[in-house]
Amino acid sequence: MANSSGQDIITDLPQSIIEIILTKLPIRDAVRTSILSSRWRYKWATLTQLVFDDNCVSQFNDRTATENKLVKFITRFLFLHEGPIHKFTLSTYYLQSSPDIDQWLLFLSRKGIKELVLEVGDEEWFRAPSCLFACLKLTSLELLRCELDPPPEFRGFSCLKYLNLQQVLVAPEVIENLISGCPLLESLTLSYFDSLALTVRAPNLKYLKLEGEFKDICLEYTPLLVVVSVAMYMTDDKTEPFEQSSGCNFDKFLGGVPCLEKLTGQIYFTKYMSIGYELGKVPLTYDRLKLIQLYQVSFEDMKEILVVLRLILSSPNLQELQISSSSNAIAASEATDLNFWETDCPTGCTLKNLKTVKISDLSGVPHEMEFLKFLLKNSPVLEVMSVLPGIYVSCGKLNVVIELLRFRRASAKAEIIFIQDQV
Amino acid sequence: MAIVRPEMKSYIWLQTTDGSIQQVEEEVAMFCPMICREVSQTGKGSSKNYAIKLPQKVNPAVLGLILEYCRFHQLPGHSNMELKTYDEKFIRLDTASLCELLAAADSLKMKPLVTLISRALARIIEGKTCKEIRETFHIPDDLTEEEKLEPLRNLGDDPRVRLLNRLYARKRKELKERQKAKNVEVAEECVDKRPVDDLLSFINGGDGDSKCVKTSKNKKKNRRRKDRRRKTTSNNENESQEEDGVKPESHNGEMQDVSSPRRALVLQDLSSTTSLSDFNFDFNEEDVDDGLDPALKKEIDREVEEFARILNTAWQDRVQEILSSGQERRVLPFSIHGNSSVAKYSG
Repeated sequence: MANSSGQDIITDLPQSIIEIILTKLPIRDAVRTSILSSRWRYKWATLTQLVFDDNCVSQFNDRTATENKLVKFITRFLFLHEGPIHKFTLSTYYLQSSPDIDQWLLFLSRKGIKELVLEVGDEEWFRAPSCLFACLKLTSLELLRCELDPPPEFRGFSCLKYLNLQQVLVAPEVIENLISGCPLLESLTLSYFDSLALTVRAPNLKYLKLEGEFKDICLEYTPLLVVVSVAMYMTDDKTEPFEQSSGCNFDKFLGGVPCLEKLTGQIYFTKYMSIGYELGKVPLTYDRLKLIQLYQVSFEDMKEILVVLRLILSSPNLQELQISSSSNAIAASEATDLNFWETDCPTGCTLKNLKTVKISDLSGVPHEMEFLKFLLKNSPVLEVMSVLPGIYVSCGKLNVVIELLRFRRASAKAEIIFIQDQV
Repeated sequence: MAIVRPEMKSYIWLQTTDGSIQQVEEEVAMFCPMICREVSQTGKGSSKNYAIKLPQKVNPAVLGLILEYCRFHQLPGHSNMELKTYDEKFIRLDTASLCELLAAADSLKMKPLVTLISRALARIIEGKTCKEIRETFHIPDDLTEEEKLEPLRNLGDDPRVRLLNRLYARKRKELKERQKAKNVEVAEECVDKRPVDDLLSFINGGDGDSKCVKTSKNKKKNRRRKDRRRKTTSNNENESQEEDGVKPESHNGEMQDVSSPRRALVLQDLSSTTSLSDFNFDFNEEDVDDGLDPALKKEIDREVEEFARILNTAWQDRVQEILSSGQERRVLPFSIHGNSSVAKYSG
């Protein structure tokens, strides 16, 4: 494949390929190709995917100078740009809310923007201008540190499929209306909200991620939900408002998700779910649920254990279970309700597909051990149970091992792996 | 009962632009979307006579590489890690091969391969200076210094404007080069001017032949440049005739009778050869504020004059020769126009 030396090997490639190559370069390098030769002068100007960040300009010690340089660079770039812009990402620490960003958004709204990511500096939260809500072709919107206040005539983004709001200051009704107004929404991520009470109506939603302090989540209509990931933060004083919310949180949250395949609950999730829980209600079966990850489950609270049990028992096709415990060994040594496991615990329930169990932060408290016993007894196809003791458990480890060894195992293949001192 | 013969594989026949035909296992070839479509839509490729014609960019060597890629990727059971490692090794080619491969993969509509090679090329380009990039890809450096420094104007503008800008810039470059060359002989330059002026006055006072035409033409050139906006060529001629003052007038009668047709001819010819460059100078000086400071502008004006004179190099040489040979009348070829009849007047 020898080329005569001096023959241009790249300029004659189709423009579509050159755009692919330029898109994979940092935008600064892409613009610099304009002085390679006369034919390269405007090859960069029709790029449809633009990513601007603080690396676009050389950085000075003076923050204002860097900010100005960045603003100039982006403004000049957009001014010289030709054709539609489909993806625009602005991720900067230096740039604060400024009228320039508003202008850029106005410009983008006229260029048929489809995917927008906006993350600006954190001193002054950027107030999204109304032209953002005029970008009706948006399919993906990601906003960080932003204030959203849509105009009254805003009906939602009819093409939006992916919505990610982090640290966004917005009224709760606005979010609900926004979600309802995006009928095609498939993925929703809400992070770092304060005291948000949310009712979600999203017929096409498949992926839901929530992180923050939520007062009340009701998944009213989310029939296609496949993956749910919730991290519920809570300060200790806020446990009371939790108690006051009406109805059973479990049902409100997981009552209408028959297609669920993966569930991840972190921090206070199980506690949240346990509120209003009534044993004996006919549960929904999660036929497709294959993976359950529950972190910081407190095995001192009977209610939380019930929640876990209900989840496991409602998932006949569960294959993997990961649980981390947040029990305090000292406090839980006088455990109550231990007879639950012998008397009230549902019997004859086989976890027919459970293959892997991972338990971490195990303290060896009675309820934890009973739970493991329960799992071992009822999992005929179990292959691996890996146990990672909590870092504060020093002398109890051997007891835990001894107890575990005693437990009857329904599965002949089951291996109990005790992981030591993972540094 | 169907007899299954495991050793019978089906092959697809592919033909590259150089006419050579090769056969490839079906599952390997079908990994390529373009071949797959051809087979399903037109049924070609089943035999040597009906080989699928591959696009122009696919020569046998490149095809070999692409088929290797297909062969590895279509096999099920490779882990992601294995695929990644293979891809990394696959793109360890020289830049020219990568570009060829990219063009071929694109014409065969193999998106993942296109993405892979594009990423490799982007990695090559990233972080390099423009000079290095030009060297790597043999891109001709045909932008002028001005264009490189200019903010990108003329976006989507008239190509003639850009062409003129380029010509102007090239001329300026040439001027600067000549300036550099002449700097060596600065002293001589100064000396040169005066003798020529003296010579001209001498000539005008003495012979009154078409050399005078040349002189006036020089001056006309300068005037023309400045008065271009308002006057046409013919007007220029007339005006400069007058402006030239005493010198030609005394011989107007003679000159008119004898040399006017020639003069007109000469002027026209000259204008045709230099109109573009002259036009350039005018156009750019009036139109574009290219941020030159006045001093540099003056310099350029001087250069333009110089340039105009350089165009008349033949005359200069002749003049000097005449000087040095002591008014010896000789017939010299008039090289600019190749019009032998004019030579008669060199006398």
